[in-house]
Amino acid sequence: MNKYVAIAFAGLMASAVQAEETVVWWDFLGGGDGVRMKQLISDFNEANAGEVKIDATTLEWGVPFYTKVQTSVAVGEAPDVMTYHASRIPLALEQGVLDEITPEDWAAMGFGQDDFAAQIWDGVTGPDGKIYGVPLDTHPIVLYYNKDILGAAGQLNADGTPVGMGSREEFTAMLQAIADSGKVKFPLGSVTADGNFMFRTIYSLVGQQDGELLTDGDFLVGDNAAKLENALAVLQEWTTAGLQSTYTDYPATVALFTSGEAAMMINGVWEVPTMTDLHAQGKLFEWGAVELPVIFDHPATYSDSHVFAIPAGSAEDPAKRAAVLKVISGILKESLFWATAGHIPAYKAVTDSAEYKAMEPNATYSSLTANMIYDPKTPLAGVAGPIFDVMSTYFVPALNGELDPAEAVASITEDLNDM
Amino acid sequence: MIRDRKKEALVAFILILPFLSIYSLIFVYPTIDMFLLSFTDAPLIGKGEWVGLENYTRLPNDRRFDTAFWNTAYFVLLSVIPGTFVALAIALGISRLQGRLQAIVLALFFLPYILPVSVVYRLWDWTLNFQFGIAMHLFDLMGIDRVPIFKVTGWFMPAVAMVTVWWTSGFSILLFLAGLRSIPNEIYEAASLDNTNRWTLFRRITWPLLWPVTALVLTIQLILQLKIFDQVYLFSVGGRPNDNLVMVYYIYQRAFVSNDGGRAAAIAIVLFIIVIIVSVLNFQLMRFAEKRS
Repeated sequence: MNKYVAIAFAGLMASAVQAEETVVWWDFLGGGDGVRMKQLISDFNEANAGEVKIDATTLEWGVPFYTKVQTSVAVGEAPDVMTYHASRIPLALEQGVLDEITPEDWAAMGFGQDDFAAQIWDGVTGPDGKIYGVPLDTHPIVLYYNKDILGAAGQLNADGTPVGMGSREEFTAMLQAIADSGKVKFPLGSVTADGNFMFRTIYSLVGQQDGELLTDGDFLVGDNAAKLENALAVLQEWTTAGLQSTYTDYPATVALFTSGEAAMMINGVWEVPTMTDLHAQGKLFEWGAVELPVIFDHPATYSDSHVFAIPAGSAEDPAKRAAVLKVISGILKESLFWATAGHIPAYKAVTDSAEYKAMEPNATYSSLTANMIYDPKTPLAGVAGPIFDVMSTYFVPALNGELDPAEAVASITEDLNDM
Repeated sequence: MIRDRKKEALVAFILILPFLSIYSLIFVYPTIDMFLLSFTDAPLIGKGEWVGLENYTRLPNDRRFDTAFWNTAYFVLLSVIPGTFVALAIALGISRLQGRLQAIVLALFFLPYILPVSVVYRLWDWTLNFQFGIAMHLFDLMGIDRVPIFKVTGWFMPAVAMVTVWWTSGFSILLFLAGLRSIPNEIYEAASLDNTNRWTLFRRITWPLLWPVTALVLTIQLILQLKIFDQVYLFSVGGRPNDNLVMVYYIYQRAFVSNDGGRAAAIAIVLFIIVIIVSVLNFQLMRFAEKRS
């Protein structure tokens, strides 16, 4: 009798040791990139069946996601791992929702600082010098263009890239030439109805003049205000000259471009899968994507990173922690597939590979990683953060020619400084 | 029979205890807690330092609070009174119809009310979107310049108020219809024997007898519209949020975007007090009007 009990007990013990570790995962990837992430997750689950299983949930992007994370950490119901924006890390630290990724964790994953570009690594570094996230990618904005229309208007180089990318005059002349060809409603489709989105374009243009938003805790100090004004002025000039779509919201901008009514579009790399998929179905013209034009002094493009973060207090059990780290490193190593979602993988081994270098349009625009600028490091910045609402309120009228850029900048400075 | 008052009181207390405890737990306690929170600099979650009245004293100089306050007042003005009168007019029209036709027309007017706010937003965005909206194509046909309705401050509040009236008048129509049906037909018959014209019928009979319902609709609308948030939020996301702020939107911004729980609580308390004052005032005015008629 005792023998049977012992056998049963041993059996129980064995199954407890072998028990699959479930990693609860939250992300906010609802678009074309979300489909690719689900593929990566199911591949991971298949490869690690019996050991680690990812239980993934996709939540609403932006404030809803970050509010849920904050409340869930407070009541101890947070996931084991989640996606986060590098730009939101300063606010997250103030809220105390993130766990440090310790040197031991990095060793366990087999990655280190040298595996990531300097700006990307800086994006996950807290003010205390500790690291709070594992960068998955960097997702800048790029210029999408319609090769058929640009070609017909004589605006393509021999290698199929647009001609007027070197200066403000060149780019405006190219827009004008496309307008004169009479083929499109707008040479450039911009998300002019959504100031939140346009922050990315405008901040890039400010960066092209070496301007900064925040200097030692004060907003738009010195000639930085003038630089923001320059950025708004050039965009307003395109609007008033009829070269850019007016009061266009995000979905309408994508629709203008994909329907051929706008010849070019400035948008995030995350729209690459939309174009690839439409083109594969034979519903899209020949298209390409390149780094933003140099309108001012030198190239600069706004970017942000998706990172993996561990919510405070959720993966403290060593077995759980090991499983979480295995998930993160597993996905990072497979991030070549993530690049088909348009994003530029953060893990250098992937971007250095021959397969990645042969991937289009990623290879054409990945040169911009050298010119990336990130959000200022303050709890007020970051996607869907308080700065966004202030900027948006004045960007929309300024971009559409309702408000003088100088007045917009004066109001923005005043509003930012009394937050 | 001799009644044991003490025992009765005890039984009564035991009977209302479940309600009392739940009410205290999910209403009284959070309200008191929020009141205390408004005197601290707490973030959205967690404790903060006691800062006294600072969260309140900074409100008069807070430009966003100013915008939110006046926008809310403007919205109430644009939605409550027009909404009530539109509903009354529709109810008067429907009450003249008969049988199945009446049911169908009533259903048509009531339909928007059952839609969730996100669907209402989608419908009107499809209609009024600047690039692809159906209404814009009509504008083009008629040779009128397109208007980016939800992106221009001057148009925003009137447009959202119009959408709100369209969306919520169904319920007010039902209340008015019930009110109209409760007016005895004999009164109208007696009046028609005296050759009373239709306007006098309305002014002397329908309006005064319907007044309690009108007062009810006005009060419900007033309290509801002071707490406006959903439509304003949905229509201004990405647009010009800080120009379109209303009170609840500002509370949301402070609490969930800026992580200032204490300051958000202070604004919520101010709104709470405004709602109380306005509803008491409204109620007194209604009573006064009733007595006079």
